[in-house]
Amino acid sequence: MPDVRAIDYAGSERLTMNMGPQHPSAHGVFRAILTLEGETVVGVDAVIGYLHRCHEKLAETLAYVQYPTIASKTDYVAAMSSELAYVMAAEQIAKVEVPKRAQYLRVLVGELQRIASHCLWLGTWCMDMGGALGGGATIFLYCIRERELVLDLFEALVGARLLYGFHQVGGVRYDLPEGWTDLCRRTIDLIDSRVDEYEHMLADNPFFDMRTKGVGVISRELAQDVGISGPLLRGSGVDFDLRRAYPYSSYEDFEFRVPVETAGDCYARYHVRMVEFRQSARIVRQVLDGLPEGPISSRPGVKSLAQVKVPKGEAYARVEGPRGEVGCYLVADGSNKPYRMKWRGASFSNLSVLPHILVGASVADVVAIMGSVDPVFGEVDR
Amino acid sequence: MPDVEAPVRRTGAASDRGTLSEAWAIARALVWGMRITLVNMFRKPVTVHYPTVERTFPNRFRGLLALTYDKETGEENCIGCRLCEFICPPAVIKVEMLKAEKRNYAKTFTLELYACEFCELCVQVCPTDAIIMMKSFDLSTSDRREMLLDKDRLHAIGLQHEPSWATGNKLRDMQAPPKKAAGEGHAAAATGGDA
Amino acid sequence: MSGFSSLPPALQATIMSAAVLGALIGILAYVTLLERKFAARLQSRIGPYRVGPHGLLQPIADGVKLLLKEDLIPASADRPVFNLAPIVFLVPCLLIFATIPFAPGIGVADLNAGVLFFLAISSLEIVGLFMAGWGSNNKYALLSAMRAVNQIISYDLPFLFSALVPVMLAGSLRLSEIAAAQAGLWFIAYPVIGQLAFLAFVITAVAAENRAPFDILEAESELVAGFRVEYSGMKFAIIQLAEYAHVLGTSFLGALLFLGAWAGPGPAWLGPVWFLFKALFVFLLLTWVRWSFVRIRVDQILRVSWKLMLPATLLLLFATAAVIVWRTPHA
Repeated sequence: MPDVRAIDYAGSERLTMNMGPQHPSAHGVFRAILTLEGETVVGVDAVIGYLHRCHEKLAETLAYVQYPTIASKTDYVAAMSSELAYVMAAEQIAKVEVPKRAQYLRVLVGELQRIASHCLWLGTWCMDMGGALGGGATIFLYCIRERELVLDLFEALVGARLLYGFHQVGGVRYDLPEGWTDLCRRTIDLIDSRVDEYEHMLADNPFFDMRTKGVGVISRELAQDVGISGPLLRGSGVDFDLRRAYPYSSYEDFEFRVPVETAGDCYARYHVRMVEFRQSARIVRQVLDGLPEGPISSRPGVKSLAQVKVPKGEAYARVEGPRGEVGCYLVADGSNKPYRMKWRGASFSNLSVLPHILVGASVADVVAIMGSVDPVFGEVDR
Repeated sequence: MPDVEAPVRRTGAASDRGTLSEAWAIARALVWGMRITLVNMFRKPVTVHYPTVERTFPNRFRGLLALTYDKETGEENCIGCRLCEFICPPAVIKVEMLKAEKRNYAKTFTLELYACEFCELCVQVCPTDAIIMMKSFDLSTSDRREMLLDKDRLHAIGLQHEPSWATGNKLRDMQAPPKKAAGEGHAAAATGGDA
Repeated sequence: MSGFSSLPPALQATIMSAAVLGALIGILAYVTLLERKFAARLQSRIGPYRVGPHGLLQPIADGVKLLLKEDLIPASADRPVFNLAPIVFLVPCLLIFATIPFAPGIGVADLNAGVLFFLAISSLEIVGLFMAGWGSNNKYALLSAMRAVNQIISYDLPFLFSALVPVMLAGSLRLSEIAAAQAGLWFIAYPVIGQLAFLAFVITAVAAENRAPFDILEAESELVAGFRVEYSGMKFAIIQLAEYAHVLGTSFLGALLFLGAWAGPGPAWLGPVWFLFKALFVFLLLTWVRWSFVRIRVDQILRVSWKLMLPATLLLLFATAAVIVWRTPHA
């Protein structure tokens, strides 16, 4: 491990700088040991693992009815996608059918969660580029204000703002309360109009263009080699969205556009996510319009620990989270606890592209690129 | 590891438009950005002056835990069945059952609130709606021992705050698929595609 | 006032300086509160509220807090440089108020090269800045100090040129004469030239004071407070004070050069109050710009300076000269 306190004067102007785990723009706890030449990065050594909480071992000790609440903690910004992946994996092995209403509700919360997650992404990215006290903080607070509206919706639905526990094997746990659909529609309309405002603030803005166009270009070949997913992939020209390619939970019933950009730079990824905002709102409206009546679960609600037993088998369930493909690989052995569970964190695979695109960028670009990759370290370290 | 001698890439190449049109674009962006911040200045601030003002809790708010008494008889609802203890993911509940003639009671009931996940599973499994959650999150204390709730404190919390909507039976009813015998148009909706 | 003028000049100057300094520090403390509340309103929130009614005692609470904080000096820091840097940074920023006349006749020193003195002294703060960056023995601080030197030097030239437009229009470098020359029409109201010069002044002022969107040297999210990262307690307070003093001084200069200084309706003693209001208006303008934009990179900042602002302000200067020649009646 290089001695990060020593300024390296030997020979060239190489400087080893530690963007340490405690850093306002590390998006969590991420250590990047950058080797700088002047202001340009010539080497990156990424260190992760600061947020490791043994989720995969934890899943082996908790039953299928107990774990979904905690699954939210892996990708805590997009909690619903993580829960869904786990529950879908269990349902695949046990061959449990999920009622239509439950599937629609899952889509509903998934898309609302995508809106909330992109709100946070936009806010923190602009804050990183603009400084905590500068103009960036303004957009950050606006986006958080909008995200709070979505979280208020979830609070009215579930009772909690993060550890939802909304999904269970066989369906969902909570049905819509009175007046929730109207509140949801009003919130979505408000968020749509506010997102318009933010786009205006950033579109055609030479400051913003200067910092994002041509920065952090991921070529199409690199994107497909390295195994990234989500908006990073779609920003580099690969038209792949799990909701379209391998539809799950009734996504085939909804009409929405999957945005694809070819430039591969930060601006392209920004544009992809802004379109996804609108498309998620569109899906939410379609769900609310077409929500069928019926039970919200094909299994009775949790009454005891030994209630859900999944027969021997293994399955891998994939969900298109806001950051990419969130996957859960489950090996069941017939009891009420999994034998082994493995998370495929979207951010973990997305981070593998960093050494390729950070080299050659300047220090300021490092921040812009990290923000556009949008890692969440709960997912990376689990 | 990529080649560290990679030449400096000219990232962030700004538009190659002329200086004048760039100046105009900057000016336009400046004005537009400032217009939006100015508009926001006249919107009402979203700050809630907690603790002078409490925000309204939604009906289903998962807050503090409490034990309840029966509304008619005034008896404790808890029968000491320990289902909540078994289901709790972080295992914060400990119950000892006290057998009596007509029904069982809980001799001791401890709940370590500092480790609680607020997942509502204990509420969900309770057969007698004994344990519920309240619309309050007043947890802050300077002594962690105050958050190790025993039976008396749990009952006291139950009388102090407003209860949330959820009780065990209500949650299980909401989640239960309709019984085949009582199908009145529900049966058709019970078939769904694969997860 | 006659009693005052009868005192020996040295004593007059001392009393005046002490009064200005005292008033200045008081105003500066509350200017920080003003900025916080203004920024909060822009962001849909309230800002300091609890300390004193509507947060009015917040600056005092901050001052007391900073006094009580432990003064940490990094073990490998260059001690003399580290300790002196805040002072070397503060002194020029306070000295710029020496030439500003707050009302006709009231001012510490009304030099006949006032504008020049102002701009020359205010660029001395770079020395303090670099000392802070160097003395901290911290890579982040060093990087930020290097960027600062780059940026401030680049923007001081266009800043000077845009400040020279009112000088040319008034025909004098003495600040009180520039203010008096605006008795008829404020310089900002001069068609095209006045507004362009004011715009250039605002932009270059933002850059020369390291305010967003040109605050690359602080860049909290990248360099974690830049050159000030190792300072704590009262030294940090001094650096903050110096920064705000510089911003406020530039606002006063802007109000004097373009907005007519103490000209305003009402009796003559209301003049300084109007001057303060105008300076606060310029300050709020700068604050508004600060809270509305993302930052641009240092190489882009320098490009804007050398390729855009410098030619633009030079052209403006030539245009002003042409206008003056054209308007001056020939004998």
